[in-house]
Amino acid sequence: MTWTLPKIRTSMLMVLVLLFAAAGCSTEVTRMDPGEVKDLSGAWNDTDSQQVSEEMIKDVLDRSWLGEFTRSKKRQPSVIVGEVSNLSHEHINVNTFVSDMERALINSDKVVFVASSTERQEVRDERMDQDLNASEATRKAMGQETGADFMLKGTINTIIDASGKTQVRFYQVDLTLISLVDNRKVWVGQKKIKKLVERSNLRF
Amino acid sequence: MACRLARLFVSFALVGTLAGCATYSDSFDNIQRDLSARQHDAALQEIEKQAGSKTDHVLYLLNKGMVLRMKGDFVDSNQSLESAKEEMDSLYAASISENALSFLINDATVSYAGDDYEQVLVHLYMALNYLELGNQTDARVEALQVDIKLREIGENIPDSKFTEDAFSRYLTGLIYEESGEWSDAMIAYRKAYEAYKKYQVNFGMAIPDMLKHDLIRLAQRQGLKNEAAQYMKEFGIEILQEKKPEQESELVYILNNGLAPIKREHVVSMWAPPPVVVVSKSGKKSSNVTPMPVLVNIALPYYESRPNIVLNARISVFGKQTDSQLMEDVDAIARASLDARMPAITARSIARAVAKGAIQKSVDNAGSGNNDVGAQLISSLVVRVAAAATERADTRSWLTLPSNIQMARLPLSPGSYDIKVELLGADGQTVATRVYPGVEITKAHKTYLSQHWIPDYQITRRKR
Repeated sequence: MTWTLPKIRTSMLMVLVLLFAAAGCSTEVTRMDPGEVKDLSGAWNDTDSQQVSEEMIKDVLDRSWLGEFTRSKKRQPSVIVGEVSNLSHEHINVNTFVSDMERALINSDKVVFVASSTERQEVRDERMDQDLNASEATRKAMGQETGADFMLKGTINTIIDASGKTQVRFYQVDLTLISLVDNRKVWVGQKKIKKLVERSNLRF
Repeated sequence: MACRLARLFVSFALVGTLAGCATYSDSFDNIQRDLSARQHDAALQEIEKQAGSKTDHVLYLLNKGMVLRMKGDFVDSNQSLESAKEEMDSLYAASISENALSFLINDATVSYAGDDYEQVLVHLYMALNYLELGNQTDARVEALQVDIKLREIGENIPDSKFTEDAFSRYLTGLIYEESGEWSDAMIAYRKAYEAYKKYQVNFGMAIPDMLKHDLIRLAQRQGLKNEAAQYMKEFGIEILQEKKPEQESELVYILNNGLAPIKREHVVSMWAPPPVVVVSKSGKKSSNVTPMPVLVNIALPYYESRPNIVLNARISVFGKQTDSQLMEDVDAIARASLDARMPAITARSIARAVAKGAIQKSVDNAGSGNNDVGAQLISSLVVRVAAAATERADTRSWLTLPSNIQMARLPLSPGSYDIKVELLGADGQTVATRVYPGVEITKAHKTYLSQHWIPDYQITRRKR
């Protein structure tokens, strides 16, 4: 091992400079377009959620169940959102793409949505309150709710394969529309997302 | 030359302050005292003081999460543990700057990413938090993450004593079973069984009776007759297939007993002849002078168990009672993990001693051209003191973990119960009693209840 004093001194100084440089980082914020793709950790993110909702919306409006129902019943079908259960290995917020779908379907004027079981309770409480406090003209009667024709249910599943610093993450979202009259599945939508995540071995 | 030396000294002093005077585990005394007195808010305030540390941030989050769950604040606890998990993940990549610094100063300059067993236990405690909140779905997510983590550890260090975490496997089995995923539960129980067999060899731990029953019951339910028969033969127990293998409602009590061992520092200092260093050109000048010995300092960590008088717990409800069983010996796992790392830690420490010796030698040689013998002596001493003072053992570990984890299960019909927990010491003496009033047991569900017992510790830290 060969050591010389100037060399050591320079390396010490360099270490110190590095140290201070690392400590001197401050928060920086940049505005982004919601459509822009930015993958950070490889985990489920906003882009995945948007891709799922786009795919599902396109598919659900194109299929025959909608036309058949409107033809036979001469009205729009009403749909209720059931549980979309997360069977994946991540804590995924399923509400984002479910509400994306809801919005797109309502705006298409082809489907009517009724409030889900949790939302319903709040509305009922309000009606109860109106019964006592609202004027006769504006009071809403009970027992006038629209019963849903279909229920939207679904699952998110993942398969992870990892070796060393490389990981393949496979997400599969399945949504099903079930007819409340006869339990028939009238539509099944599926979206698969596959990601290759490579972790770095070194950082500064 | 004096100016150069002064600068060198200043840089050493700066680095010395960065490294801190006390080791990490010394800073834990106050927190431990607050926890013993069940002053969770005071302990949290004390932990908050460590929030600024960049290299120990994971530990800050882990301790915070753990104390929050002792307080019963499971939602915030999970938030803190989730951040700890994310940070551990980002520390997967080794830092070039931190490692370079650790070669000159000490191991504690590297950001702490958590030992393997700590990285697994984060998932376990998050799962327990979700279970106590009654959130089965998110507990299942943690169960899946445990599987990924354990696969990663098993692949990286296959010959380590800790490649499977038995209790985490068992708990994931319970979670899957409650979700009605029988085959996944069966696999988890099998893996738990394999891991407990390893625990038996490595840590002298018995295989929990609960697991034996679960294995047989589920094997029968899945129609795996041969496997069930084999288990019955192995365990020497006979269980007739129940008519209704459906979920029954039950209470699952978890005792987090005591506190995990704490790392202390053991320092060996000695004067040694300077390492053979070729000092360029100026080397000839000093060759006729007897070289000044260099101060070699080697600081190594060792684990000190934190004593505990409670051996297990007895829960009683309505005349029914059951004793808790040891599920995970964190103390033994932590020790085994440090033992496995010790050769690498020692090697790094020796390498550092050589490097620091070389620095001392080169300062001596550089000063030898100087006519002022006093200044030369002072500079030589200063560099020795600086080299010794920066050599500290890395005593970081997740200190709010329990020393061991125990579990008791009690089948109960749905309803509201007052649950009495007695903590038992040697000879079955009751050390402490606690009653949990109005615990709701719902139909076909497991209700989780956990307690963290921290005894009064006599703080007997040896001052250096």
